[in-house]
Amino acid sequence: MDKELEELKQRYDEIPIPAELDVVVQQALKRSTPKRRRMNWLTGAAASALLLTTLVNTTPTIAQSLAGVPLIGSVIELITFREFVVDEGTYQANIQVPALRNLDNKLLESTLNEKYLAENKQLYEQFMAEMENIKVGGGGYLGIDSGYEIKTDTEQILAIGRYVVNTVGSSSTTFTYDTIDKQNELLITLPSLFKDEGYVKTISDNIKQQMREQMQTNGEKVYWVTDAGLEEEALIDTFESIAPAQNFYINADHKLVISFDKYEVAPGYMGVIEFVIPTEIIANDLVSHEYIK
Amino acid sequence: MSRKYKEKLLTKYILEQKENYYRLAYSYVKNPDDALDIVQESIYKAMLALESLDDQVKIKSWFYRIVVNTALDFLRKQKKVTVLEEEKLDMLSAGQEDAYTDLDLELALEHLPTKYKQVIILRYFEDLKIEEVADILEENVNTIKTRLYRALNLLRNNLNTGQAQGVKG
Repeated sequence: MDKELEELKQRYDEIPIPAELDVVVQQALKRSTPKRRRMNWLTGAAASALLLTTLVNTTPTIAQSLAGVPLIGSVIELITFREFVVDEGTYQANIQVPALRNLDNKLLESTLNEKYLAENKQLYEQFMAEMENIKVGGGGYLGIDSGYEIKTDTEQILAIGRYVVNTVGSSSTTFTYDTIDKQNELLITLPSLFKDEGYVKTISDNIKQQMREQMQTNGEKVYWVTDAGLEEEALIDTFESIAPAQNFYINADHKLVISFDKYEVAPGYMGVIEFVIPTEIIANDLVSHEYIK
Repeated sequence: MSRKYKEKLLTKYILEQKENYYRLAYSYVKNPDDALDIVQESIYKAMLALESLDDQVKIKSWFYRIVVNTALDFLRKQKKVTVLEEEKLDMLSAGQEDAYTDLDLELALEHLPTKYKQVIILRYFEDLKIEEVADILEENVNTIKTRLYRALNLLRNNLNTGQAQGVKG
């Protein structure tokens, strides 16, 4: 027994001490910050990716503690994998990194999870760099808020929307989506839904039509679109066409939803904009009605 | 004892023993981020509650107690059971014989109920006296002695069954 205890003590003494401990203790003793700035990246992206794939994928207990959201009709879960918080007066960052769990398609799972982690890490690093710049320049305001929401969760479809809100003076918002076929565990891309590139024009034309109709019926709505009664000076950068890989997701009614970031096709007060594309418009372009009905 | 003096004393203890406090916190939560949070929160709590401390001799076990309670609070909130670390997972996949022995040994400890695990950690790993352990856990000395005895027995049992069944997955 003594031998075992000695061995256990040795293992205990070998628990690695993170480099952050000094800073955490010093700050706590000074009571300078109410919240520890969570710099959870161990050593760069490689370590994080390793952590992600080994911990989230293989040890359910770790992920359980991180507010798992079990999704309808499947064992797939979406969890908050990491949070980065900076809470220093005029500098505020709140970044939540989602991660998928329990997909059988591990390649898809790790590809998406690594993308989520890498993009959020970049956001965080940019924030920290800008914060230092602003501090050197005499101080100011800087804020970032990034997170995710489940746009669609049906037996068939999971659509995850991730947003980034930058606040420097005015705010900008971007949204990106990943639409997943839960049954076949496939990532659905916009081009993959259509027979050929004809959809770009079909959808663009429909969106312009919707923009004009909305502006006619509701005086408060404004889109940067021609032939909608806007004065010519206002028409500098009008909406002409969606990108072939435009932001999109499929909603619970099996409809295609096209999304534009704040400022992209309308004045800022319009915010992030979504257009639901009527299925009959694209019926001839669709490869099948598997997802879109 | 003035507040300033107590604060100085506590700061000295914390700075000297921070790695011990961290390891103790880690032994409960099993991950660095949460362990750091617990150390931090314990320091805040201690600074706030410093007024209530009237005996400088006990400052050491007093702070240990705060770390233990903060960690237990955390576990209650998180409802965690056992969490394997990365390195152990690596062992599982590497499949080395001696690595399994270590794993068995550690699992045997992990499988003990918290109240037994913590007396072993405090007494043997943190090298505290029985009286200090009793003070930290707010129990009397005899209770701790009994608990320690039972803890060692349970640990031995866990080890024996582990080996008998060949916990190699």
